[in-house]
Formats: sequence, C-alpha cells, structure tokens
Amino acid sequence: MKPAAFDYVAPRTVREAVEALGAGRDAHVLAGGQSLILEMRLRRARPEVVVDINRVPGLGRLSVDGGTLRVGALVRHDAFEAAGAVPGPLGTLFSLAVVTIAHPPIRSRGTMVGSLAWGHPASEWCAVAVAMDAVLELRGSGGAREVAAGGFFHGPFQTARRPDELVTAVRFPLPGADTGAGFAEHRRTHFCFAQVAVAATLTVRGGLVAEARIGLVNAADRPVRARAAERALLGAEVVLPPAGHRLPGGHPFARAGEIAATADAAPVAEPYAGVDYKRHAVAVLVGRALRQAAEDQRSRAAVHRGGHR
Amino acid sequence: MRRWARREDERLLTGRGRYVADIRVPGCLDAVFVRSGVAHGVLREVDCTAAREVPGVAGAWSAADLMDLPACPHAAGDLQDLPPVPRTVAVGLSPEEAVAGREWPVLVKDRVRYPGEAVAVVLGEDRYRAEDGAAEVTFRIDPLPAVVTPSAAAEDSVRLFDGLSNIAFEGSAGRPIDEAVLQGAAVVVEARYRQQLLMPTPMECRTFLAVPEADRLTVWAGHQMPHRLRRELAALLEWPPDRVRVVVPDTGGAFGSKSALFPEYVAVAFLAVRLGRPVRWIEDRLESMLVATRGRGQDQRVRLAADAEGRLLAYELTIDADVGAYPHLAVGLPMQTAWMATGPYTTPQVRATLRSVLTNTMVTYPYRGAGRPEATVALERSMDALAHRLGLDPAELRRRNLIPPASFPYRTPTGRCYDSGNYAAALDLALTTLDYDGWRAERARRRADPAALPLGIGLACYVERSGGEPGGLHEFGGVEAREDGTVVARSGTSSSGQSHETVFPALVARTLGVDEARVRLAEGDTGEQPQGVGSFASRSAQVAGAMLVHACALLVGRARERAAGLWEVPVGEVAWCDGAVHAGPAVMDLAELVKLTGPLRVDDRFAAGMAFPFGAHAAVAEVDPELGTVRVLRLVAVDDCGTVLDPVVVRGQAFGSAVQGIGQALYEGFAFGEDGVPLLAGALLDYLLPTDAEVPPIEIRDTRTPSPGTPLGAKGAGESGCIGTPAAIVNAVADALRIADPGLLGTPLTPETVWRAARAPKLPERPV
Amino acid sequence: MRITVRVNDREYRLDVEPRRILADVLREDCGLTGTHLGCEHGVCGACTVLVDGAAVRSCLMLAVQCDGGAVRTVEGLAGRDGEPHPLQRAFSAEHALQCGFCTPGFLMAAAGALEADPAVGEDPERVAALAGSGICRCTGYEPIRRAITRAAREWPRPAT
Repeated sequence: MKPAAFDYVAPRTVREAVEALGAGRDAHVLAGGQSLILEMRLRRARPEVVVDINRVPGLGRLSVDGGTLRVGALVRHDAFEAAGAVPGPLGTLFSLAVVTIAHPPIRSRGTMVGSLAWGHPASEWCAVAVAMDAVLELRGSGGAREVAAGGFFHGPFQTARRPDELVTAVRFPLPGADTGAGFAEHRRTHFCFAQVAVAATLTVRGGLVAEARIGLVNAADRPVRARAAERALLGAEVVLPPAGHRLPGGHPFARAGEIAATADAAPVAEPYAGVDYKRHAVAVLVGRALRQAAEDQRSRAAVHRGGHR
Repeated sequence: MRRWARREDERLLTGRGRYVADIRVPGCLDAVFVRSGVAHGVLREVDCTAAREVPGVAGAWSAADLMDLPACPHAAGDLQDLPPVPRTVAVGLSPEEAVAGREWPVLVKDRVRYPGEAVAVVLGEDRYRAEDGAAEVTFRIDPLPAVVTPSAAAEDSVRLFDGLSNIAFEGSAGRPIDEAVLQGAAVVVEARYRQQLLMPTPMECRTFLAVPEADRLTVWAGHQMPHRLRRELAALLEWPPDRVRVVVPDTGGAFGSKSALFPEYVAVAFLAVRLGRPVRWIEDRLESMLVATRGRGQDQRVRLAADAEGRLLAYELTIDADVGAYPHLAVGLPMQTAWMATGPYTTPQVRATLRSVLTNTMVTYPYRGAGRPEATVALERSMDALAHRLGLDPAELRRRNLIPPASFPYRTPTGRCYDSGNYAAALDLALTTLDYDGWRAERARRRADPAALPLGIGLACYVERSGGEPGGLHEFGGVEAREDGTVVARSGTSSSGQSHETVFPALVARTLGVDEARVRLAEGDTGEQPQGVGSFASRSAQVAGAMLVHACALLVGRARERAAGLWEVPVGEVAWCDGAVHAGPAVMDLAELVKLTGPLRVDDRFAAGMAFPFGAHAAVAEVDPELGTVRVLRLVAVDDCGTVLDPVVVRGQAFGSAVQGIGQALYEGFAFGEDGVPLLAGALLDYLLPTDAEVPPIEIRDTRTPSPGTPLGAKGAGESGCIGTPAAIVNAVADALRIADPGLLGTPLTPETVWRAARAPKLPERPV
Repeated sequence: MRITVRVNDREYRLDVEPRRILADVLREDCGLTGTHLGCEHGVCGACTVLVDGAAVRSCLMLAVQCDGGAVRTVEGLAGRDGEPHPLQRAFSAEHALQCGFCTPGFLMAAAGALEADPAVGEDPERVAALAGSGICRCTGYEPIRRAITRAAREWPRPAT
C-alpha cells in the first residue's frame, strides 16, 4: 500500500500550479490529499507529478461578498462545522452535511473544493453544490473560466475540469432567511460512505413552497439534482407532517420523495444496497430532509419575526 | 495508587511498545507478495524478470523459480523447493484423510484456488521498493468458475482439486432424531441460517520477521502459539527445533487469526535462510482483506421440536461449513458446533451433522468463539422463534428447559460433559439488569403507537467450551525463585493484549504470598520457555493459570523440604506462609533459602479439564422499518467464567468481545462479485467494524461458578460476547419486526436485509 | 528531497523521496515507532499524530508536506521530566487499552482536541466524536471515552 514514485512540485502561485499541471504529464493536484493519497496507496492512482497547492497563499480564504459565498481551494472541511461559519441557511446546511464526512482528523485536512474536483458519487459536497447552484472557478493555461456545478459532474470521478486546470474556488449563492435547510444521510456505520444522502432547502413564502432544492448523494453515478421532485413541490402548502418515522402517504414531502426516487435517481447497485433499496431510501430521505428543511425554515422565520418585534 | 494499572501500560502508552514492525534489523529485506486477482484458475505463466531489474529489489521468485534454483553453497543449500504449508492436525479436529492429496503450496504452482493466493514473492530494500518490483511481475491466469458458499461447492459441479470431492469431511454428533418425536411435537420450528464469513481483523495485521544467524534462525512474530510455530518451521527446514527460536513481542490483537504457519511465513523463513539475510513480511490491510483467515462460514438448517408446554423434545442441526480453499483446521472446526449443539438445555434428543466443504476463499480458521457462536446463534434464534410460535415468553421458555444446577456434571446427547453451571441464575441476572419487564411495557406501548419506532427484546443463553480438546488441555511452564528475591513465572502461553504480564505475576504472587512487584513473567519466547501450547480457546487463565498455581505448590513443597533439611526438622513441621518457610520460631524467605541452598526452579506440565463457561445476553433494539436501520438501545451480558483472576481485565475482555458480537450481528461481512472475488477493494471502508458511534450502553455482569476441572477453578473468558451477543441482537430485531420466518434475517443485518424483512409476513398478534 | 521537520520539539533534517508517507518517515527515518500503521488508508486512526497542532492521519500525508512544520507523536506526549501526560494516566486507569496498537492514535487525537480546548471533556458528544475517530478492536471504546473524560477532569488548570 505504498504509493508509486512521482515527481513533487509545491508551487507558490496559482500560475505556477497551472504550469505544472499543463506540462503534459499525468499530474494530480494535492490539496487535502485524503482521497488522492488513499487512491495512490491502493495504486489505483499513479500520477507522474503531484502538484501540492498547500503553499499557494490565498487559496484558504472563505469569504462572503454580497449574496455570494466563496470557498477557496484550501478551505478544509472542518471550517464548516460551526453553523455560524457561513451565514444563514447555507451555513446550517453545511454544518449538517459536514459532520457526515468521515471523521475529525480527515476533516481537518480534506477540502470542499477537493471533494468537488474528485467527484466521488457518494460525496456530500458534490450533491450540495449541485442543489445550491454553485459555480466552480477554474484556472488553466488558457485562462480562467467558470462552470456551474450542474454541468460539472460527468460520471464517477469524471468532471468538466481539464487536466491542466486547477479548481481555485467554488461560489454559492446565499439563500435568504425565508429558506430552511435539511440534510439526511443514511450509512451503515460512522466510518463508511453514504448509501444514500439528501440535501434539501425549502424557500417558503406565504406558507407555500416558493423554491425547493434537492441534491441526491450516491443516488446515481454522479450527484443528482432532483428537479422533478423540486417541481412537484412548487406552490405546495407547507404543513409539517405529524411526528413519526413515516410520512403520511399523500403528504407533499412524501410525494416529492417518490418522484425523486423514480424520476430523478438512477441508483447504481452496491454490495448490501441494491437498486430497489436505494430508490426506496432516496424516497424516505428526501421526505426526511424536506421535513427538516421545513422545520428549520419555520424556526428561522420565528427568530426573524422575534428579531423585528 | 499505582501509576500504571497494568504492567504493559507504560510502554504501550508512551510509544515504547515493541511490535514486530518496530524491530529494526540492519539489512532487513521487506517481502511483498504478488497476488492473484482471480478466485479460481489455472496459472499459465509467471515472469519475474522485469521485477528483478527494479532498483532496490533484491530478488523475485515464482514457485518455478524456487524449484529451479541451483543448490546454494549456504548451509541451507539443501532447500531446493518451497515445502507446502504444514497441515494442522489439531487434537481431535482435522482428520488426516481430509488433507490427503490437497497440498497447500506456498506459491501457486499451477492452480489458483482463492483470490489473493500468492503467485510470486519480491524482496526489496524496503516495502516501497518491494512493491515497485511486485508491480512489474507479470502472470497469466485462465479463470475457472468459482464456488464461494459451502452449499454451492458441495454440489461438486466445480471441483477445487481434480478427482476429489469438495466435501473434505463429514461428521456428526448425537444419535439420529426419532422422526416420531418430531411428528408428535406440538411445534416444530424449521429454519435456515447463514453464518457469514467474518474477518478477525486485529488492528495489527500479521507480522513475521526471520533473522538467520550462523546455523540458527530467530523469528519474531505476532503469534498465539510460538512453540508450534517453532516446531513447524524446524520441520520444514529439516532442522532440530533448538536451532529455531520464536519470539512474540508486543502483539496488536489476534482473536484467533495468528495461530498458524501461513504460506507467507514459510516463504519468508525459507528465503531468509537461503539468502542468509533478515527478511520480514508486514502484512498490509489491503492484502489482509483477501488473505487473512476468515471465521464462521456455515450454512445451517435446524429443526427444533417442543411439546405444548414448551418442553424441548428434539433438536436437529445440519451444517455445511466453509473450509476455504485448503483443508486445514477448519475441516474439523465445525465439529465444535456439532458438539455444542445441545446448548444449555435438557433437550433429550440432539443430533448435529456436518459437511466441511472446500470453497474458493482463503481458509477459514478459528475466530473468537470458533464454532460456539455458530451453535449458539442457530439454537437461540430458533428458541425465540419457538417461543413466538407457542405464545410463550422467551425467557420463560428458556427457564423451563435450562439444565438445573443439580444436574452437573451433565452429559449432553452430543457428547459433551458440562462441568458446572447455574444457567438460570445467569438468565435471571440478565433480565433484572436489563429491566426486562420495563422494556416489555415499552415494547407494548410502541406497538400501540404507529408513530413510534418498533422495539424488540432479544435473549440468548449460551454455554461454550474453553481450554481446548482432550489431549491439548495442558500447558508447560514453571516458577523460579532467585537469590535476589525475585520470582520468575514461566508459561507456554502468549499474550496479544490479554494482560498476561499483569495477571499471571499477580496470581503467582498471591499464591506464594510474595510481593507482586518481585514477580516477573517469562512468556512468548521459546528461548526462555522451551515448551508450550499457547493462547487460544480462552485457555490462558484456565489452563496456564492453573499450571502456575500447580507450579507454585511444587515450589513450596521443595522449599519446605529444603528448609526441613537445613533446620533438621521433619518436613511436616515446616509451614509455608507469606512467601517464607516457618518452623517454630525459625523463618526464612525464599531469597535467603535460595542463597543457602542453591537455585530453586520447578518446571512442569499441567493438564486441566475442559471447562464450560456460560451466560445469558439480552439486547433491546429499535428498528427504523423505513430504512431498515437497527439501533441497539441496550445490551446486557452476564457471563460466568468460574473463578476470576482479575475482574477488571475480564470485564474488558467481555466488553470488547460483546462489541465484536455487535459487529457480527449488524455490520461485518462481505459480498462476492460474480467472479468469486470478495468486494473489499475499499478495505475497511467495505468491511465495516463497529466504531464508537455503533456501541450502545452495555452492562457487563457476572456470576461465578468455579470449574471443578482445576484447583484454580477458572474457566475461559473473552469469547463470550462473540457467542452470546449476536443471537440476542438478531432476536431483538426479529421481535421488533415480529416476522414469521426467522431465516429472513441473515447476518449481518444490513439495512436492506432488515428493510426487506420488515415487509415480510408478520407473526399473528398474540399477547405475550 | 531535503526537508526539515520539527518532531516532538527536535529538529530533523531528512532526505526523503516525495512519495514517502509521513507515518513511514516518522517510524523509519526518525525511529519513532510509537506511531502505528493499522490500515494505511485513513480509516483506523492508529497513525494519528498532530501536525501543527491538528490531529491528522499520518498515513494520508506525505512527509514532504510537513517541510518546515511541526509534528507531535505519542513519544512527545509525556512532559520533559518524563511525567506522564494526563491522557496517558487516564488511559491506564480506565483500562482504555488492551493490545495497545491503536492507542497512540486515540491519545493523539484526544491530545489535540483537549489541548485546543479542555472543555471538550465536559461535552459527551465531543468526547464521543474523539472516541469515534478511530477503530479499536479490543476495548469496545467505552473505556476510551471514560479515559478522555477523566483526563479532561485532571487537566492542569491555569493558575488563578
């Protein structure tokens, strides 16, 4: 389980990093390394060059500019553990999702942007990015460009990133206070990948769903935006379902779950999680994530009202 | 207060422990094995030429290369061919005929029989370079169909050894059941269970360091049976055993997985001797996924019959057991299940039959529990199903059938003679500790509330066997008093985390009446203790503990004789008290006696009786039927291992064992691809061990019924959790779901399995 | 590649291949074998060390990444006078180790967290997160949780 030999470069600028990536050899970017080094140990990844971007200043910045959050390529997972690290419902969503990523010593190294660039179908961040209309900033030898998360993921570990490009940051639009966030993950133990997980936000105006966003984790060979389920929710009255593990059959969240499972998800069978089971889990988890989002929205609205009193 | 609770602690907590991989030997080469990615196939060619050109590679060999090597001028030059892996014909277990014609080569010669089987070995200056070399070895295997379950393999449509059946052994225990009894029974539970293959998964994988020096070989290995390892290595090298020394330094867990001589060990020892250089193999986790030993692996069918009052009439257990690709210990190991099939009940007719079947997987070997979990799970799951069928409280059903304390020694229909026990007391303590009635009320409340997650209560009573089988129930060792006032206790056992270094000196100090700080344990080094059996079958306290007490008695006898001579009094007038001889006003401690009369050392062999630890485990589990997830809310384990030497150490064993039992019930296991290769490419991301987040509140309690088999009265401890806990958890889930067919709940209880079971037909409603 | 790393307050100037994993360099080049390799893919946590104060898996870092940085291993846990660290005492007292192979990783993960914030020990969830950041096959974790809580209780208080 030792990596094969490679050349190592530690650029000091983005430009140097891009040059190293574009030198015509099989080059991999090392950010947190928690996936890359694992794959190199399994000798499934055998890069000729490893470009360690950890010494590039500025890539570790997390900033809010107007209504947009910008996450630099070296912002570690653990930066999002506190709900207040990112304002509003997005912060809540991140804080709910991040604790399902491995465990603390992995989260102190691994990065959000690295997860996006890696494109693992079970990655929480990838589905969050797709659901929240994130935009990736890339820099290559031909200059800078932006790619919407919705078009970034092409398959397992396959993305729109060109070999000579570095993903320098990802931007998320910040939803307003009329939005609530939910995240529901299903995995077998604390230490394994999600069998299925769901990220959801609900924007509620006048008691009706004004916008729904649903991202599915490990429900296809890539992260999925559950658009059909989202459409079905538009205009629905937000009634919190009664307590219990099962949503009433006709509830809009249950219906959205069914639609996500049948129309949006395209599960790939795994050991101990066949396609039927995964579809069913998608339906259940979409319902649960939506319930959580609705509850979050309700408590957020209550605080908001309280703040104005 | 002592600064360190155990003697092992200081070094292990400060980074000064010494595990095999920590030992630095100048010039040592690292061995890496090139492994088959195919489960079953014909090896056509192996080419190591390119590997030998890789910088830092000291050599690369296939089986053919080692056969072709010219005679070497070295002392070991007569070794031309790698000998096969020695078969393990353990006492009363693996019969000769199972092994005949089914040789396990160290490197594949022509036929690959399990995925990961080594086709070549590469030695490098370090592991990086050896792996570089291994990547350059090319080979071709023409795949054959693979069989990976014993039931499938038993059909013999694919044979692992041409001309020989895959069924390596058939055995039975008990007399055939009288069919009339089954026909006349009020209820007969019939079910099928699959005991999945498990991996013991100690945190330290296997380790083996061979250091040749002149005409001798010193081996450092994390190992449970150093003396057997030495014996087998010496036989392979055709050397007298005293030319081989085996040392077991700190060992990072074993759980049964480190008791054999594996192909990799043979290759490393052989090459070290051949090259005259130190060579080591530090197994990595990825290769362990394919080639570490597996445990369990039984396809079972049961029939359990009772009358209308719930009195058990007959029990029949039929087993197809997974041996793996080569017939070793696992051939006879399922007999352990057959012999223990009776369990803790007075069932008059019990019959167990088994077939041990070769499959295309790495060999099955003992894993914590070794045959007893399989017996307990089958019986206890059936007991709960029977209780539901009869409308009886599962605890009450058990109470009506437990062997009463006055019946010991109790001879079972399957040939065991249980030594001692109070099974009902253990069950009662488990129920009280759990608050059985309180949870029953909670279960009823939840059944009436559609919003509540269903909850179930599961019980498992067990009796197991510890110490070993007749002929292997002895241990070697002794006690030596030294002039400086210290005492050395010697034992043929070997610790891999069980605190021997703390527990045994304390026992000797207590027995002799000397200061504990003056007693030291010599163990795990064939150079210090030439004979030994080892640590397995929970035998260390039971057998070696009794051996040390026996040796202390001999030492005291000698001391009294010497004192009698010195003082010229009859030996009957010399008393022993607090580490000293007394006669009237005269007192002399051991050190002084040794100074005056010369070295005082006793070495002996001591045999114990088989012992039968027992207990009752109870679990409460909550099921999310929508996702099929199981949350264990509470686990109670009541174990009786007779006389306890160190309650804190025993509790630690029981707790850790229970968590492994949770793993067996809920998480551990693996699926096979269609090509017969286990789907474990993600290693511990695929083979899921329980983490802290999966551990419920666990209460460990004990009852103490001494074994009459030794003067010490200790029975084996430490395997109980793997034996009692899995059935309790599965029963709790079955109870929560109230499913009619218990066989639907195959372990591990993955969410998908439970989800499917939750949708299956339910038991009829019945007040329980 | 030449690198300089401070390990347990001692400076090591090393010449290492870029591919060499931090854990291997600690064990082989620095001779600090207290850091163990249990899985080499970031799951088990036996190799956990502190890099610039943060607990990381030393099996998932290259040694060259630590050039100019500071690493702390289990060998650097005790005080300069050899006085055991509160975690070392607590792990022993609570029998939070049996075979001891995983122990250095749990010690370092807990040390990193408690040294950053001793109040971690008062919050059962945060203690559980620490006990839940590695795999122990012997103890069943409960003693590890107890040990972390105990160490936090016995944590040296700043003089008031």
